[in-house]
Amino acid sequence: MSEMYDVSGVLPGGVLDELPAGTNVAIVGPSMSGKRELALQLLASGYASDEAVLCITTDSAATVYADLERHVDSLDRDRVGIVDASGSEGQNAIDATIENVSSPSDLTGISVGTAKLFQQFEKRGITEIRYGLISISTLLQYLGGKKVFKFLHVYTKRVEETGALGIYTLDDDSHDPQVVNTISGQFDGVIQLRETDAGDLEFRVRGFGRRPTSWQDF
Amino acid sequence: MSDQDTPVVLVVEDERSVAEGYEIWLGDRYEIRLAADGREALDAVDDSVDVVLLDRMMPELSGEEVLREIRDRGIDCRVAMVSAVEPDFDIVEMGFDAYITKPPERQELIDTVERLLDRATLDDAFQEYHSLMARKGALQAQKTEEELRDNAEYQDLLDRIEVQRDAVDADLGDMGSEVDFVSAVREFADGEDDTEWPAADGDEEWADGDSSLPGSEDER
Repeated sequence: MSEMYDVSGVLPGGVLDELPAGTNVAIVGPSMSGKRELALQLLASGYASDEAVLCITTDSAATVYADLERHVDSLDRDRVGIVDASGSEGQNAIDATIENVSSPSDLTGISVGTAKLFQQFEKRGITEIRYGLISISTLLQYLGGKKVFKFLHVYTKRVEETGALGIYTLDDDSHDPQVVNTISGQFDGVIQLRETDAGDLEFRVRGFGRRPTSWQDF
Repeated sequence: MSDQDTPVVLVVEDERSVAEGYEIWLGDRYEIRLAADGREALDAVDDSVDVVLLDRMMPELSGEEVLREIRDRGIDCRVAMVSAVEPDFDIVEMGFDAYITKPPERQELIDTVERLLDRATLDDAFQEYHSLMARKGALQAQKTEEELRDNAEYQDLLDRIEVQRDAVDADLGDMGSEVDFVSAVREFADGEDDTEWPAADGDEEWADGDSSLPGSEDER
């Protein structure tokens, strides 16, 4: 189990160059503000040969591979586990590192899928896993906020106790502010994004046991 | 839970001597009910049973079949599979809440039953934890970070959140274990999904004098 996950260069100015094993990070911002792209970078940055990526998504496996490959030179697809919750099983080729779940509302299925992929990686000696959950907002479209809250607590605890890294995205303009705050409060740290009137992207960082940063340009 | 305070453990085991051995080990702590096979188990299991110790290999109905029927009926109990076979990869999919390798030791049986009894209170602990976190979220939406730093009620809330989070985590158990992780999720995944948020609808305690808040329940 590594002490640190290297995520250097994702945020400018050396903010968050590495994250301790067991850290859960939420990326929170308005829709279309680049949250997903930032999440992919955190999953792929410094992605070492002894690490694996495990994505829960409603995108097809092909999309996830292609997106990760934009950030990783030689992606080893055997080290990318995908829990595809889109319910469109037929789209994926039969693959040992893809688990299909009927719907994002099937939380038991999602947990079984992640547990099976974890066991598979563990059997192959891979114990450092970067988990991507893209996105919390999709879960909130299918499930009540309370259930999503409970699931995220259990899931982040799982990431913590297995020394993994957890990356999550959440829209802050499609849900009630209270819901966004309550869910954001479950993570070790939050990267907030916003777009200025001029159309520039800014970020600030909360949590991670350090002083909050002010808004700055990417 | 049963009406009495003593938790009920249903032992499903076709070897009589083994079943009686479990009863001797557990009988002073729990109310033990015995079932000699899968059919008897399905007759005996209901919501008054807290934990089922289910033998995997039984003639006629197997442990897996009994488990499936228990889940299909929606009975609120936790099931530990007891088996001489080493656990395989497939066990996270089967839906057991714990796995005990035969022959179990006394302490292992007791620890497993205790862990599953703790998990039975997980959802209650979660309701309270969510309610506190939702209040925190509501306050954050109303006040600036600076105002919150000086707000005694908010600071008190943070302390209560920490205590309640520990209570939740104690009920969760070891989330490093795949079976426990899936079992914990199953605990609330199929339950009712009320979307009502406690602090959102005009909680006076936090309304901070702003009686014009929409959604106030004050109808007089």
